[in-house]
Amino acid sequence: MPDSPLINRLVGALRCLPGVGPKSAQRMALHVLERDREGGRRLGETLVEAVQRIANCERCRDLSEHPLCSRCADRSRDPGQLCVVETPGDVLAIDRGAGYRGYFFVLLGRLSPLDGIGPEHLGLDTLEARLRENEVRELILATGSTVEGQATAHYIAEMAEELDVRVTRIAQGVPLGGELEFVDTPTLAHAFSGRRELG
Amino acid sequence: MSSAHRVDLNPCFVLHQRPWRESSLIVEVFSAHSGRLGLVARGARRPASPLRGLLQPFVPLLVSWLDRAELGTLSGAEPDGPVLPLTGKALAGGLYLNELLMRLTHRHDPHPELLEDYRRAILGLHGGEGMEPVLRVFEKRLLSAIGYGLLLDREGGSDRPLRADRSYRYLPEFGPVEGGEVEAAGVDVSGATLLALAEERLESPEELSEAKRLMRYLLEGLLGPRPLGTRMLFRTQSRR
Ligand SMILES: [Zn+2]
Repeated sequence: MPDSPLINRLVGALRCLPGVGPKSAQRMALHVLERDREGGRRLGETLVEAVQRIANCERCRDLSEHPLCSRCADRSRDPGQLCVVETPGDVLAIDRGAGYRGYFFVLLGRLSPLDGIGPEHLGLDTLEARLRENEVRELILATGSTVEGQATAHYIAEMAEELDVRVTRIAQGVPLGGELEFVDTPTLAHAFSGRRELG
Repeated sequence: MSSAHRVDLNPCFVLHQRPWRESSLIVEVFSAHSGRLGLVARGARRPASPLRGLLQPFVPLLVSWLDRAELGTLSGAEPDGPVLPLTGKALAGGLYLNELLMRLTHRHDPHPELLEDYRRAILGLHGGEGMEPVLRVFEKRLLSAIGYGLLLDREGGSDRPLRADRSYRYLPEFGPVEGGEVEAAGVDVSGATLLALAEERLESPEELSEAKRLMRYLLEGLLGPRPLGTRMLFRTQSRR
């Protein structure tokens, strides 16, 4: 390893990426410096721009570079269906694999009372306001099958029932403790079409 | 100091888990061997890991680990009987029990009898028994296990037996007293409720609501100012 504080800093910075340990971070840093400086420059500029310009959609909380994301701005979707998921990755998985044409709401997490993560951290006031618009006929709960995902689903279901909105839950073809991002497309499509009434 | 030692296939329940490093978990378990303890489960967050679905709350487990002063290292886990999935309100009740154990027991403080009380409570919630009596009985047994057992057969500071038709004021760490001057501390409760709690047969709505108030008062004294996070899960109740 060449003796350079800047290279060390680069290796350290790369380790913020998931799955990147010290060895792979070092390999990436040397690759960029030895063989692909242009690619490295592009990566750096794009990273900075993305971090600055991408925020959360005002309506669904998904990642977006506009106040309203492209899915929320898409008027051809069915306003009667709203699907609640934990992560932006879940939106991609369902939109790609489940033949779903309604709108989404992204919690960016799940209720975790023992960690102090409560309804206020998941934008549930925004969701409640959305349900009060009276457009949603079916609220589809697609939170994970972990204990916390289920507690989250239960909490939202009670909220929706107070507002007389019909609630369904995707079928649990998803393994216990599994999260949607890791579920393959046929399983997900099956879980989605097999959703059942809740409450 | 003795070095790390191995514990094999010990009855446990997972109370809580949180991510650790890239692909691991730190699970907080309640074990027969050493009460509550924290274990590192290496690789347990990898999609293919068999531990992923197993290290969940309300799954009766046999867990092996390497015991250390702070965090132990989990070396294996297998199911110990059928999973007891909890849903809806019962799930909120189960998470509440887990939070009580997290907040009121110390790591490495064994309470083997309390683990069995916990197992019975989870079975009760799973089997659809009335949730409130199940929670009250567990709270009572938890307080007793950690050295704050309730006095439920006679008045505090005397040997006068409690009577179902009398009213008492329950003073923390002293017990029930009848009549007399009004005390700032404590909570009013009927003899009938205290006796029903002693025999673990809370039935009437009055007994249930009095017992709930009493336990809440005593627990709050021990929990301090930080409120229980799981209270927020009882959404409809808190609005009533
Ligand atoms: Zn949006």
